[in-house]
Amino acid sequence: MWTLFIFQGLAGGLVTGSIYALIALSLVLVYKSTHVINFAGGEFVMIAAYLALFLLVAGGLTYWIAVPLCAAATFLLGAVFERVVLTRIQGRQRPGQNVLVAMVIATVGLTYVLKGIIRPFPYADEVRTLPPMLESGPIFIGNVVITRQDIAIFSIAVLSMVALFVFFQFTPLGRALRATADNPRAAALVGIPVRRMRSFVWGLAGALSAIAGILIAPKVLMTPDMGGLIILAFAAAIIGGFTNIPGVIVGGFLLGIVENIVGLTISTNAISVTPFVVIIAVLLFRPQGLFGGRAETKKV
Amino acid sequence: MTNNRLVLVFAVAIVAVLVAVPLFGSIYVVFLANMLLMYAVLAVGLDILLGRAGQFAFAHTAFFGIGVYTTALINNHTGLPFVLTIPAGAAVAALVGVIIALPATRLRHLYLGLATFAFAEVAHWVFNNWESVTGGANGLRFQPQNTGFGTITNDLQAYPFVVVIAAFMIWITRNLERSQLGRRMEAIKESEAAAHASGISVTRTKAVAFTISAAYAGVAGGMYTLFQSYVHPDVLGFDTLVLILSMIVIGGLGTLPGVLIGVVLLGLMPEAMRGLKVMQELLYGVILIAFLMFMPRGVWGFFGPLIFSRSERKPAEDKP
Repeated sequence: MWTLFIFQGLAGGLVTGSIYALIALSLVLVYKSTHVINFAGGEFVMIAAYLALFLLVAGGLTYWIAVPLCAAATFLLGAVFERVVLTRIQGRQRPGQNVLVAMVIATVGLTYVLKGIIRPFPYADEVRTLPPMLESGPIFIGNVVITRQDIAIFSIAVLSMVALFVFFQFTPLGRALRATADNPRAAALVGIPVRRMRSFVWGLAGALSAIAGILIAPKVLMTPDMGGLIILAFAAAIIGGFTNIPGVIVGGFLLGIVENIVGLTISTNAISVTPFVVIIAVLLFRPQGLFGGRAETKKV
Repeated sequence: MTNNRLVLVFAVAIVAVLVAVPLFGSIYVVFLANMLLMYAVLAVGLDILLGRAGQFAFAHTAFFGIGVYTTALINNHTGLPFVLTIPAGAAVAALVGVIIALPATRLRHLYLGLATFAFAEVAHWVFNNWESVTGGANGLRFQPQNTGFGTITNDLQAYPFVVVIAAFMIWITRNLERSQLGRRMEAIKESEAAAHASGISVTRTKAVAFTISAAYAGVAGGMYTLFQSYVHPDVLGFDTLVLILSMIVIGGLGTLPGVLIGVVLLGLMPEAMRGLKVMQELLYGVILIAFLMFMPRGVWGFFGPLIFSRSERKPAEDKP
């Protein structure tokens, strides 16, 4: 009985964990290149999910068309927010002042804007979920039940991460982005358009959130407040020390599994507090993340 | 006009408003005034940590909640006058503040922000689930506060006490600004390494700042029990934290007049937007972002230098 519980928790955890990892990646990308914690990450997910719902249900489109459209929309949203709002706040910084708090609160402001935009729409008045991606018959592995849809979610999430890895490792644009994150001044010196890279990273984070949003929407109840799930991504990012990308991905999976097992063994009520306990525990005992070798010193 | 005279004019204006509220305002206006004064103590307390010591600490609503529940529960069980229960609430909040400060002083920037935010959310979860003590999601009802001579049964009766407490806390803040401790915090904000090199104990100063800030939130919690009779955990959640943070940042981080301006501006904003219903959330976000974009140093950072003559400002601020 207990082993079945654990295995069922593991399987379910891997599926939701892959989505958490995706959202956490979007946070870490933004943090690494602009040092801003994006509290609106969850609302990017939310808005993409609603846009997908609209396109799929009202527009009658298929997932093949809806997903790229949603990703493009949130890409634009992220890039424009960076260019119009964050660049402006940063541009007004004077020596000896820290506008980071202002930038972080601007992302909180964005959460209200996005929720405020979605709330009056006809689809937001009641709880909904996306139509299933696949005709789902369950698959049994031993005694563990997995739906076809879960397998699809897991595969798409993992594929997205692989694509991201290839992009950052092997394409000129990806390398330029990494250079910008590592050392903006040196990147500017070798001719990388640093400002445009920052906007691009925000856009990329937005597009990742869109994929995550469409993957998670069939599994959770959609409300305009579903962006609160960002906290799970925060916890996952913290596990990876906020900068170590493989660590963040492992963090996402770990969190999905822990959450599932807490739900199955302790109580469903305790699920909501799990990510916070994880954040506090990791920061207290291993502030550099579970996988960071040593505490990072920042070069000036 | 010289700066001293300007300050005097502002002081007289503020006193006039404070006196006019109970004389001419409806009971709702008095309630609003009570809320704003409570927010003033909350915001000034958080600003000590955020604006002066430069620590990203987002656990303020947790300490506020601890203040509310402690004061209310002691009142419910003993009926002691509030001059005893509010300090008790502040003391418990400060005690928890010390306990949090010890590990928190090891963290910085983003990590401190997330750790304290997580602590606030855990506290919120406890408020919501510890039913035998906090009443859980049903909220907690408490009896009217005892003044020692009678009970406070409405907002009007609570108002003078709320004013006195708020004035007292702001006066303390004013003194703190000019004290050695205040300057030590300022030094830490500028550079921890430099502060350390000049013989300031960084860890101790941070811990003290944490404790003081928590105590302010505890006092604000006590003020809440003066004019309310019921508390629900929702009051102690993320939205309130964002509200207090916005007050500080929009008013002017690290400046006392700025924070108070922010309290009034954001405290009255929901009233101004009352008729807009569904648009409120969107508009709140837009206004928040617009203020940050166009006045990143806050209203006070923007208008303060225009109103007060340049001679009394620090030389560093003269250069644009």
